[in-house]
Amino acid sequence: MRAFLSVVGLELKALVRSKAALLLLVAAVAWTAAFPSLVTGDGTVAGARELDIHFSLGGVFALLVVALLASATGSLARERAEKRLQLTLVRPVGRVALILGKVVAHVVVGAVVLAVACDILAARVDLATPCRHVLAPILPSVQEEAERMYAVYLADTNTPAAVRHAPKATVLRLLANRAIDRYETVATNAVARWRFAAPGDAVRFRFTNTFEMRQDVCGVLRSGAAASVVSNTTQAVVLFPFRGESAELSFENRGTSALMFRPRRDIQVLRTADAFAWNLLRAYVVLVAVLALVVSLGLLLGACLSRPVALFVAFVTLVVGEMSPSVVEQYPDELETNLADRVGLAITRGAAAVTRPVSAASPLEALAKDECVEPASVAGLVCANLVVAPLLLALLGAALLPRKQDDLV
Amino acid sequence: METLEHADPNYTKFPARRRALRPDFAIMCGMEKTKQTLGGAPHAAPNVIELTDVRKTFRDFWLRPTVKAVDGLSLSVRKGEVFGLLGPNGSGKSTTIKMILGLLSPSGGKISLFGRPPRAAEARRRLGYLPELSYLHPFLTAQETLGYYAGLSDLPRAEAKARTRELLAMVGLSDVAKRPVGGFSKGMARRVALAAALIGKPDLLVLDEPTSGLDPISTKEVKLLVKALRAGGMTILTTSHLLADAQEICDRVMILNHGACVAEGKVSELGTSLEDFFLAKVDDAKDFTLAPFLAG
Repeated sequence: MRAFLSVVGLELKALVRSKAALLLLVAAVAWTAAFPSLVTGDGTVAGARELDIHFSLGGVFALLVVALLASATGSLARERAEKRLQLTLVRPVGRVALILGKVVAHVVVGAVVLAVACDILAARVDLATPCRHVLAPILPSVQEEAERMYAVYLADTNTPAAVRHAPKATVLRLLANRAIDRYETVATNAVARWRFAAPGDAVRFRFTNTFEMRQDVCGVLRSGAAASVVSNTTQAVVLFPFRGESAELSFENRGTSALMFRPRRDIQVLRTADAFAWNLLRAYVVLVAVLALVVSLGLLLGACLSRPVALFVAFVTLVVGEMSPSVVEQYPDELETNLADRVGLAITRGAAAVTRPVSAASPLEALAKDECVEPASVAGLVCANLVVAPLLLALLGAALLPRKQDDLV
Repeated sequence: METLEHADPNYTKFPARRRALRPDFAIMCGMEKTKQTLGGAPHAAPNVIELTDVRKTFRDFWLRPTVKAVDGLSLSVRKGEVFGLLGPNGSGKSTTIKMILGLLSPSGGKISLFGRPPRAAEARRRLGYLPELSYLHPFLTAQETLGYYAGLSDLPRAEAKARTRELLAMVGLSDVAKRPVGGFSKGMARRVALAAALIGKPDLLVLDEPTSGLDPISTKEVKLLVKALRAGGMTILTTSHLLADAQEICDRVMILNHGACVAEGKVSELGTSLEDFFLAKVDDAKDFTLAPFLAG
């Protein structure tokens, strides 16, 4: 334990005395403090607040990810290249403890800088503003819907041969992507119904598709005896009394044309949760956990690659991890592409699958929209990103470090 | 068994020096890899370092062998002795030391430190290491540097503080204990590194070119320190290019060339200067000729 603490202390001193920590702190304070005066929103108080939360904290987080990834990647690689690592490795300190000590030091610096940014943000927003749980309608699972669509496709004589002869798992994956974005059409004067498992509370009902797509929204939302008019002037976000263990919402289209909704994305019920202050705290914990994962990845790369190569791989991983979900979302149908595209998509899909837990972990969007960063997901993310992943990556790094010493990697 | 004169290719080049050698200096020629110990009573002290037929081949990314750095090396260092590992550049000294320290894995053979594998924590707890260059963290003060290595050696905090004070006084750096070592001269940094090597109260001290970069006074002090540590019962393994220094401080030496042992024995039983003996055993001058320059 004493050896581990010594490594933490050394790394902290390195970060502080190289002025890296100070520069990060100054940049974070300057960005967070100056952001409201640099950017103007849509003119509304709510819009400005949403922008502020999303981008001031998001900017600091992005800065920390880049800076700490570079620092962590260089830390071990530089020590090895400059042969200082020899003097550490001949002491009775385990390689895992060495890597974890460096992870802890970097995470501490990141956590302090992020805490300062959160404090500055907290000073100018109302901490008592309630946040809300986001509830989706009760629908068959994506997989069930995909199976159902697959059966329909096979029964249909017009289904292309390429689909019939493609592996079932591939087609199911494509159909599952479609199921997420499946549209439900509500014809004029028709009624669509969605059930929610929601305890009694005042709720908001909203459509998350863009306002331009809702030009013709004109209808009535009902829950039991209560009803509320939805129109494009209310921007489809209305306060609605919503009571009962589970309840049914119905929407009657009174517009002049048919409306299309994506029930998995556009129909959400929000239920009052705790105050913004707690939400901010949960978001902070999740962000720190993501930083731990990023730092651990950097140290793993630093353990098994030379410094320039490790830095290159680290940032390519970061970019691919950040972009691959959008690429996969934009180009979901591999059956329609040629071989080269399919190979590229397979690689991107693999990267997206690996990095999804991290890229999906960003709580800033929820925080900006006053949606609850769910405690259950916080616990899971913290356990995975702050404990399990750093430990596994440290074990892997410790196994590869001697091979690098032997110039085998 | 082949005699020294027949085995040594340098015999004709340095006849006077070869004849000056005492026959009781233990010699092992690299070709046969069989040790011929001609003198000295068997030592009763247990071995601190034991290398048996150790080989090290460096490989490239595709695991193809590139350099055979150590080739079938066997040696043992007894408790309380100062053992010198000598040889020209590229002879495998540093690779051998790194394998002994557990920084490199041998490609073959067996290494034990205090009867344990070199990477065992129990072995490392009893080990101090001074590398060829000091490799200190420039942003730490001398005091913090020793505190850091004391922490890595699991020394209790109070003991670490006391020992730091004691060692800084010993190497004459008490006055600059709170200055970052990045601003130290090479000699001062070397002294900090030496103190860091001793901070964990090691039983075995590995010194890689301990007097490298030191002025004559500091060199003398280091030699005195090594003698004092030996008198205190510490086992010391050292490498040096300064053969006069090695002759002064070492009890036994081993000469390496091309990764193999070419000679080994007690310095006290060497009837000539170590430098003469070394040049006789290790002469790669045939690879390097001044003739074209001299002719021009």
